[in-house]
Amino acid sequence: MIKTDVIVIGGGATGCGIARDLALRGIPHCLIEKGDFAAGATGACHGLLHSGGRYVVTDPIAAKECYDENLILRRIAEKCVEQTGGLFVRLPGDSKRFREMFLRGCEDISIPTEVISSTKALDLVPNLNPDIEEAIKVPDCSIDPFRLCMLNIRTSQLRGGMIFIRHKVTEIVRSHGRCVGIKATDQATGEVREIRGNVIVNATGAWADMIASLAGCEVPMTLDKGSLVITNHRLTNMVINRLRPPSDGDIVVPNEAVCLAGTTSMAVTDPDNIKIESTEVDTITSEVGRMIPHFNNTRIIRAFSGVRPLLKSKKMDSREISRGFQIIDHQNGMYSIVGGKLTTFRLMAEKMVDAIMASFNLKKACETAEIPLEGQGELSGYPLSKRLADMKDIVCECELVNRKEVERIIKQTGTHNVGDIQHRTRLGMGPCQGGFCTFRALGIMNDMSVISPEQSMDMLRGFLQRRFRGIRYALWGDQLREEQLVEYIYLGILAMEKPK
Amino acid sequence: MSVTEYDVIIIGAGVAGLTAGAFLAGRGFKVALVTAGEPTACLSTGCIDVCSRDHNPLTGIKELPSAHPFHLVPEKIIRESLNHFQAAMTEMGIPYTGALEENRLVLSALGTFKTSCLVPSTMQAAPQDARDIIHIISFAGLKDFYPSYIISRLKNTGVSVYDAGVSSTMSIASQFEEEEFLESFIVWLQGQNIDEDKIAFPAVLGLESADKIAKAIATRIGKPVFEIPTIPPSMPGRRLFNALKDYFRKKGGEIYWGWPVIGVEKSGKVIEAVMTASKGRPNSLNGKAIILATGSFVGGGLSATREAIVENIFNLPVHVPGPRETWFDNDYFSFNHGIGRAGIKVDSSLRPEGTQWENIFVCGGILADTEILKSGCGHGLALATAHAAAKSCMEYIR
Repeated sequence: MIKTDVIVIGGGATGCGIARDLALRGIPHCLIEKGDFAAGATGACHGLLHSGGRYVVTDPIAAKECYDENLILRRIAEKCVEQTGGLFVRLPGDSKRFREMFLRGCEDISIPTEVISSTKALDLVPNLNPDIEEAIKVPDCSIDPFRLCMLNIRTSQLRGGMIFIRHKVTEIVRSHGRCVGIKATDQATGEVREIRGNVIVNATGAWADMIASLAGCEVPMTLDKGSLVITNHRLTNMVINRLRPPSDGDIVVPNEAVCLAGTTSMAVTDPDNIKIESTEVDTITSEVGRMIPHFNNTRIIRAFSGVRPLLKSKKMDSREISRGFQIIDHQNGMYSIVGGKLTTFRLMAEKMVDAIMASFNLKKACETAEIPLEGQGELSGYPLSKRLADMKDIVCECELVNRKEVERIIKQTGTHNVGDIQHRTRLGMGPCQGGFCTFRALGIMNDMSVISPEQSMDMLRGFLQRRFRGIRYALWGDQLREEQLVEYIYLGILAMEKPK
Repeated sequence: MSVTEYDVIIIGAGVAGLTAGAFLAGRGFKVALVTAGEPTACLSTGCIDVCSRDHNPLTGIKELPSAHPFHLVPEKIIRESLNHFQAAMTEMGIPYTGALEENRLVLSALGTFKTSCLVPSTMQAAPQDARDIIHIISFAGLKDFYPSYIISRLKNTGVSVYDAGVSSTMSIASQFEEEEFLESFIVWLQGQNIDEDKIAFPAVLGLESADKIAKAIATRIGKPVFEIPTIPPSMPGRRLFNALKDYFRKKGGEIYWGWPVIGVEKSGKVIEAVMTASKGRPNSLNGKAIILATGSFVGGGLSATREAIVENIFNLPVHVPGPRETWFDNDYFSFNHGIGRAGIKVDSSLRPEGTQWENIFVCGGILADTEILKSGCGHGLALATAHAAAKSCMEYIR
């Protein structure tokens, strides 16, 4: 049995942020994640570091939090953030009144804005619809949520934090009504691990109510599915938002070689069972196409969904529910932290750890906003060009990942899972969506003897099956053409059989 | 604009287009073939799949769904087309092994067995069951070939790695065309003292002389040698394309390379000419008949929008399996995706159905209801329908 002070359940941005904050304040802790880091909503979002502009009209408090955190993350997480800047564009017919409210809202909480003409906006983003009335420039950025989680966890690991990924919490151990520990099952071996602690933090996002129920508690939430699509190239170098009340398909974020566009909003009940509809893909494509006409002719390489864990509200439209967050003290040694956004994950962690420190009667203040994330020195940083420096043995041509990098990750993490390599190197995240490089990555894992030849075949099958779920809703045009080629390669040339 | 007169205009340089072209050119017709670029045949394994559903391809064909275009081609023509292909490829220096009555197996780069009918001679020695013990020669840095996948199926497989000094499929293949390289490679291979029954190579044994190179290695080492097809760029696919192309030219056909069709001239029930883009000026190629062999989606014959599937040259009516949701199944491995049935429906003379055009003949992957992966009928269907379309075309012109 493992003993620690704080048990954090959930390896999304919030959980990873809490682990880092605990580490910096010297609190022994342990983090349990049922899949890989950033596997829930954290990894299934736009990767937008909000300026706050998006919420100034509907939710000024959340907007202010976003802007403050935007400034902090640009400082402490330099290698995760690309300072693209963002535009809010107003299309013919979009409300002028909303524009006034937007500018006033930004001014109230000091978000810097600059109103620019359509000519100037086209100069910045040549793919914009030339018919736009005007654009408002804000400090939106693009952020890599996978890298962000990994770097937060690194601080925890460097300071003795215990991390268990692919461990599913199956039981909250209670004694005299208090939560005193958890039992978690290793998803690979089936082995059950028991961990005891003084405080349990439930940072499981959309799964928060399920975990709380293991301790006999409830977390009132609204689960809101948002779907996104990825394009095969970078249509814009700035974040593009529609200047109107939050709605479907009104944000496009450049991310390395691709763009992410979305979202939709739809209430769901089961976070483990979400499906993308063709109509969602169509809605996003046509709405975004109004801001960037070329979007209509661009290849969509994948569609995916995430579930926003929103605070329960009586408001019918989930877009009107606050994007703020809440800490629930269940009064039995367990806390749940729900709501919030990727942009505000650090603030959420700070408030959570503040509450824990108060319960321990400890005084050490939060330093996560001042100390830059450790380990960024080794990273290449955002510009793609830097990675071109080492062009030998490229395994993933779309994202320029070479064999050395893949081997390094395999050695460092001892991983048996090709997804871990993808999240840590971006392998398979480009236009072919791993169609060519996963075959290679599994071959390399095999060459290094971390998996058996039989496992590599099974994993390749599993990968193709999962990959297809993400792309089948976005198959038309050249993407369909490429997909037919990939199918022909695996099922024709390589003669893969139907799994038994 | 320059105008040139031909008997037949063929659109598409894949197995179907080049075969139909050679057939007609060989019978004295003046044939022009226009193509936007390299065909998907270059990406293929080079194997001629006729029908992989049964051990006997002819039996397999009989069991295909009634809408399958194979049923439009009499058995006699299927047989003729394969015989003719084998003779032509032998003439061009890339002989093929196999017979229409019996499928063969080809070892894939994943260690599975792919069923095919006619295979390049360099794949003839491939094991026909899991009993043969093989030794794989891999090449340093070759990133699309991992012997471990094969070992997962064939347990006692041995592996040696040779450093060719270059690492791409194409550059290793071109090294093998050099006598000095081949000689030093064979000396190295002799030093490996291989015990296993057969020696396997990823398909890199030469650009065009693979048959000779494989034989030379086999003779010197004293063991059967065979190639394993790789993912694109695939040398056996490229050898096939080059041989078909040279054969077509040898028969007197003319190829307009890199000339995509940009327009069509029509009159009444016939297409009179196709306009092609080329450097400097548009060209009009006049023909009495047209053979459309532009392939399916990958080849560029069809394209899909969010709402519909269209034929790219003549806007012929496309048989569509249903609305977009039905194009793909949830199961990747279903082999039954609706999109596999999309294409052009034709009558018994391979003319497109539902149009007024009497001088268009359609063959190869663009046909409807082929379900190529499920039926295992790639290049074999192209050969058979190319012969059938060429015959109909010949009758029409006469």
